[in-house]
Order: sequence, then C-alpha cells, then structure tokens
Amino acid sequence: MHFTRRELLERCAAFGAVTLATSLPLSALATEWDEAEKKKQPTPFCELGPFYKREAPHTSVMRAAGDSGMPLAISGAVYNTRGEIVPDAKVEIWQTDNDGHYDVDGYRYRAVLEPGAKGSYAVESVMPGHYPDRVCQHVHYLITAPGHKPLITQLYFATDPVFEGDPDKNFHRDPLITSRELVRPVMIKGDPKQIIAAVNFDLVMETL
Amino acid sequence: MMRQMVAAAFLVLCVSAMGASKPITKVQLPCESRYQDLSPTGTQLVVHCKDRSVRVVDVPEGTERHVFPADQHANNFVYSQDGSWLAVGFEDGTVELFPSRGASSPIRWKASSRRIDMMYFFPDAKALVVGPVDSPGQVWEIAATPTLRATLPFAFGGLIACAVSPDGKLLVAAGDDTVLRWYDTATWKKTRENGDFLLETFALTFTPDGKHVLAGGADARITVLDAATAKQLRQFPPEAGSSVAFIDVLGDKQHAATVYFDDAGEKPPHAMLWDIASVKSAAMQSDAPLTCGAVVGGKLWVCSADGKTLTMSQYE
Repeated sequence: MHFTRRELLERCAAFGAVTLATSLPLSALATEWDEAEKKKQPTPFCELGPFYKREAPHTSVMRAAGDSGMPLAISGAVYNTRGEIVPDAKVEIWQTDNDGHYDVDGYRYRAVLEPGAKGSYAVESVMPGHYPDRVCQHVHYLITAPGHKPLITQLYFATDPVFEGDPDKNFHRDPLITSRELVRPVMIKGDPKQIIAAVNFDLVMETL
Repeated sequence: MMRQMVAAAFLVLCVSAMGASKPITKVQLPCESRYQDLSPTGTQLVVHCKDRSVRVVDVPEGTERHVFPADQHANNFVYSQDGSWLAVGFEDGTVELFPSRGASSPIRWKASSRRIDMMYFFPDAKALVVGPVDSPGQVWEIAATPTLRATLPFAFGGLIACAVSPDGKLLVAAGDDTVLRWYDTATWKKTRENGDFLLETFALTFTPDGKHVLAGGADARITVLDAATAKQLRQFPPEAGSSVAFIDVLGDKQHAATVYFDDAGEKPPHAMLWDIASVKSAAMQSDAPLTCGAVVGGKLWVCSADGKTLTMSQYE
C-alpha cells in the first residue's frame, strides 16, 4: 500500500500520531514536507587540477578496446539544491589511465557529457590508476550550467586500497578529499567474463 | 596541489651550464626540511618542516623570526619583490603580512572564506594579489586596514598564476579556466584576453622591459606573448612529458631560469636555462638535490639542505 504524503499526514493526524501545532492546512504541510525532502546539499568542492584540458571530445565512451584496467561504468544525474534536474548542464570528466598517467598531449580518458533534459549521464571508462603525486584513485569533474555556480569536484572509490575497506575512518588519508561524500560505493556487475565496476555519482549544483 | 608541485620543483634546481657555483653561507635550520622559500634579498628563509610547522629564519644567523605551528594551517608564503614583506595565506582565508625587518606589527585580515592558494606582490609592494581556491582573484591595497581594489573573475575555478608589469600598469592573470586575462591596473578594466591555451598556465613573468610576458604550464613549453596585444609571438620547444612550474628572468635580462615537473610524477623536477632571444637552452645538472632557489640581485641563488644544515650558493 502506498500513501501520498498528504494521505499519510491525514491518517496520522486522525489517529493522534501527529499533533499539528500550526494553522497550515494538511495539504500545504505535505507540500512543504515534500519540498524539504527533495532539497539536496551541494556536492563538495575538490581541487580542479593540474591537468584539466579544454575542448575534450563529446563522448560517453572513454575506454578503448584493449585498454588495461577494470572496466568502470559511472552514472548519475545533475541536480540543483532544490532537487530539480539541471537540464542544460555540461559535465567534463578526466582521469588517468589504469597506469596512473594523464594524457596531456591528447584526450584519452577525457570526455564532455551533456545530460540533456533528463539530467542523467553515464560514461564508460576503466578504474583510474594511482597518480604518483596523489594518494587515492580519482576522477575529476567540472560541471557548468547556465544560472549555476560551476562545480569542481572529484569522485573517489570506496574500494581504493588506501582506505583499507573503511573509507569512513580512512578517507582523510588523502588530504585532498574534502568530504566522505565524495567516496562512492562500487558495485561489481556483469558476467564472470566481463566484470564491470559500477559507480553512481549524482552531482548537486548551487544556483547563482 | 599545484603549490606543492612548484615547491617540489625546487628540489633539484642546480646549474652547471651557467658556470661555477660560489658558496655564500651556511644556515642552521630549526628543523628537518624538504623545501624552503628564499626571500628575494637572500636574507630570510621560510622553512617548511617535516612536522608540517613552518618557521621563518634570518640568513645567515638562523634566528627564528616567526613560527607557524602545523595546526595554524599556513598554506602559502610569498615575499614582496623588494623583500620588505612576507605574506602568509591560511586555509581559513586569512592573509597576514609581516614586515621582513623591524618591529612593525603584522597586518592581518580575512580575505576570503576559502583557502588561500596563491599570492603575488605588485613590484612596488603596495598591493597584493590574493587567490582563494575556486574563487575570483582579489587585489588588495596594502595599508593598516587593507582595501579590496579589484576582483579578477574566471569562468570557473580560481587564480593559478599572476604577473604585473615592471611599471605596475598591466596585470596578467592565469585562471583554472586556462584563459589569460590582461587588466589595466588604473581602471581595473579587462583589456585583453588570450584563450589560446587548452591547458593550465602555472607560471607567468614579464620581461624586465615590460614588453613581453613569458607563460608556461601544462603544455610543457614557454610561450612568449606580446604584453600590449596579448598575442602569442613564439613558443620555445617543449620539454616532453613535463609541465613548466616556474619562470624567472635573471639580472642579465637575457636568460630565463625555468623549472619543470614530470607530468607522470615519477621523475624528479628538472631545470633549464633559456636564452630568451635565441631560444637556446641548457639543462641544469644537479650534483645534490637542492631545496630552494630564487633570483637574488639578478643572480640565481640556490640552497641544499642536509639534515638541519643548509648550504646556499650563487651561480654566475
């Protein structure tokens, strides 16, 4: 059985489970409650550089046949802090290859994604290697959209050996990780012949 | 991260191609230190200690002038070009200015709510450019109560590098968005823009005559720009697999000392000396890892720390 927020409030009020100390009607309260639950905290900032490169190709496939490293599928959606989809966002992603090297001369493992009206994005890659000057594996993000503050952040993986299985406790081992929220769980998918690491990373932008 | 790379770039700055080195002095350091910042007068050192504290000492006495414990999170240090001020940027967005000599009180103010990642003094030391992370650059007039004179916006991110012409009339700012922007410092209007760079610029400097700007960054090469038009004039050959972290013109006005870091993060940084006019280069070989460097009185000074003893030398 599924109740709307309004129906639930009405039932709770009828049974005395909720005491309303406000003159607002139940319908308005339900709307406010819904809105409050939709609100999202902006995705924390995390360093841009130093290897950002403009004019990356528009592609959702960064992984090429024969590339070393565990295939990685990253997906998510771009929201504003009201929980609404940002339909005209541009998501730029870049990372090292599986050996921990950035391609500065070309555009390997660099992509521009345009989530469009649905706001969702997906990209195929490989697990980035450990860049020697950094502690953790990471994927860089730059998200821009009209009317929104540009968002610069990085995605980290809960499976990173640096965390020793406990990112809650150990995420500070990389001094650049500004928030535990940036360390995302990794789901192993696919058949035994083609295992894929899947990560969801929703992005929340602040309006200007 | 870039700040750390630039600091690390001094670890091996040393010169053989330029001629013999002349030892200047030895300094007893208050701690073991991987790198230091040398003042442009060669009379003060900012010592970054292994315990993450930072200590400012006089050269050659080694007398401690200031101590910044690790929990103060001092993040960025820069001297004015005349050596009269030391600016310290903190993680909480505070900036503190210390007179290098004398008993005057420091000037402290909250420039931003964000970490201070970059600072740059005007040649006359009357203004300070402050770069909070992921925020517009700021230009502060130095006074007992500093005044914000201008903000330097970017499409995204913050300020990476900055240079002001010797006459103080032009400012060039390099942002995370890879664009170089020119400002008239009298009006603070943006006069030119150069969007030719696809990658970030980490180092900027004017030539002593103010006619050219040398820019270097993740594209592995030095680009010479016309200061008046912001257009590219020529590019030096790239150092493949490297990024330019530091450029400074020596007192002969003909040579630029540059430091490159390895993009793969595997090899130590290396240094080159470029003849600006002929674009001929000489690699600078290192006998011992060096830990700081600066152009002092037009000459390249470098230092090497062994334990708590630092040796300072000058290259002719």
